[in-house]
Amino acid sequence: MSEPKVLVIGLDAAPPELLFDAFLDELPNIKSLVENGIYGKMKSCVPPITIPAWMVMSTSKNPGKLGIYGFRHRKNYSYTDIWIANYQKIKEKTVWNILSEKGKRSIVIGVPPTYPPKPLNGYLISCFITPTNAKQYTYPPELKEEIEKVVGNYIFDIPFRTEERDKLLKGLYEMTEKRFKLIKYLLKNKKWDFFMFVEIGLDRVQHAFWKFFDPEHHLYEPHSKYSDAILNYYKCLDQQIEELLKIIPKNTKIVVVSDHGAKRMKGALCINEWLIKEGYLTLKKYPEQKIRLEKAEVDWKKTIAWGWGGYYARIFLNVEGREPQGIIKPEEYEDVRDELAEKIENIRGPSGEKLETKVIKPEEYYPEINGEPPDLMVFFDDLYWRSAGTIGHNTVYLPENDTGPDDAVHSQYGIHIIYDPNQNFGGKKIDIDILDVAPTILRLLEIEPPGDMEGKVVEGV
Amino acid sequence: MTEEKTKSKNFTSILIPTSLYKKLEEKVKETEFSSVSSLVTHIIREYLAKLEEEKEVFSEEEEEEIKERLRALGYID
Repeated sequence: MSEPKVLVIGLDAAPPELLFDAFLDELPNIKSLVENGIYGKMKSCVPPITIPAWMVMSTSKNPGKLGIYGFRHRKNYSYTDIWIANYQKIKEKTVWNILSEKGKRSIVIGVPPTYPPKPLNGYLISCFITPTNAKQYTYPPELKEEIEKVVGNYIFDIPFRTEERDKLLKGLYEMTEKRFKLIKYLLKNKKWDFFMFVEIGLDRVQHAFWKFFDPEHHLYEPHSKYSDAILNYYKCLDQQIEELLKIIPKNTKIVVVSDHGAKRMKGALCINEWLIKEGYLTLKKYPEQKIRLEKAEVDWKKTIAWGWGGYYARIFLNVEGREPQGIIKPEEYEDVRDELAEKIENIRGPSGEKLETKVIKPEEYYPEINGEPPDLMVFFDDLYWRSAGTIGHNTVYLPENDTGPDDAVHSQYGIHIIYDPNQNFGGKKIDIDILDVAPTILRLLEIEPPGDMEGKVVEGV
Repeated sequence: MTEEKTKSKNFTSILIPTSLYKKLEEKVKETEFSSVSSLVTHIIREYLAKLEEEKEVFSEEEEEEIKERLRALGYID
């Protein structure tokens, strides 16, 4: 019997509500994988964000264990110094690291964060945190030249927060076409047992065009020429997938996954404006225009807490002996944190409506803590409201994002499809956890998952 | 399995104790590496990459540029 092969198709931010419910009938190739495979919702990690989610998936380790809680982290409890998450910070073994040790060959493209590239038994092309194409973005280094011969200037990502939406769409399709051209080239011309790629374009198109198709969006624009922009991109991916299915060896098992879901954004909650209003954050001077907190004149000796923006809010307490000008006595830390957590959970929406806000204390949530987690992690209204860290808005609520147009936020559930050409699963619906993906991939490759992986093999595989 | 002799200028030989070689020869059987050479090459590459890890990944300018991009993507601020 021939050696097993697995192809993982990563669709960043594909939510079950679109892929399985709204669009599936228009996506014949994905539909066929669903009908003959196992499929369902995939519960993402906390936080359900691109970084750390893809690495949680690839290692089967929770974000606390990885020590990765988002794209940025504080350096040594500084008020302003941060480090950006990158591949070197990933110390746990990924699926392809395990396969490399077994001598199996992997090809990995665009999995965040895989910059800077690290060695594996195979080939790697880094992800959208790559600074520029001038950098070394492949392993082995010689691969870069080969890529440029095949697709010219490789495109990692496109900026989506723009009002120039026609230009955005053009860039999106150009990026995706190049990525799939390269995928097809590598599938055909290189040896591999495991092939995984992530298409980031899906996340970008959802952020940029959600308000044109969802009547429930508070900024819904009906009859727009962009009404089908998201659907059309899903169709484009389905066609690209059809081409991949034609060229892969017949025995290839296929896994389709997203890292988290997506849904309409209700608005942005200015966490630092709220902390100012409640007396937790004190400025020497309130800014006349919108600025980032790190540029503001914060009176740290009168500040108890401050926050970061993003799809979720991170809250930091100003603790004596830990922060440079900390004022909370260590013995008062837990009381202050509990009181603040309760107040945040009770923040109401702009019309006084109740929000389904969840506040997490990292060390109580994760089985193990590495790195420098925030003191509190806040998910406003089940993520419908994003967090804005900037100040100078003179309000707590913004109908749009604070740094350019953006219509969507993340949701907790992504998707998975597992297809094995040797076995008809008959479209069985099983919901899984993001931690289950890596051990399931190993099982599909007939390798026993290491005992320290936190997930389990999906039932029936 | 014996190591293939090659005269290519892209490859060279290193000497290692025979006992170590024998151990690796056994290990190779448990993997899909084609030879002791390919296993040792893999191990050395990982070792060299670990040494690189001590350096800063992004220059100051790169970091500012990436922060700007991450803001534009909604991941931070």
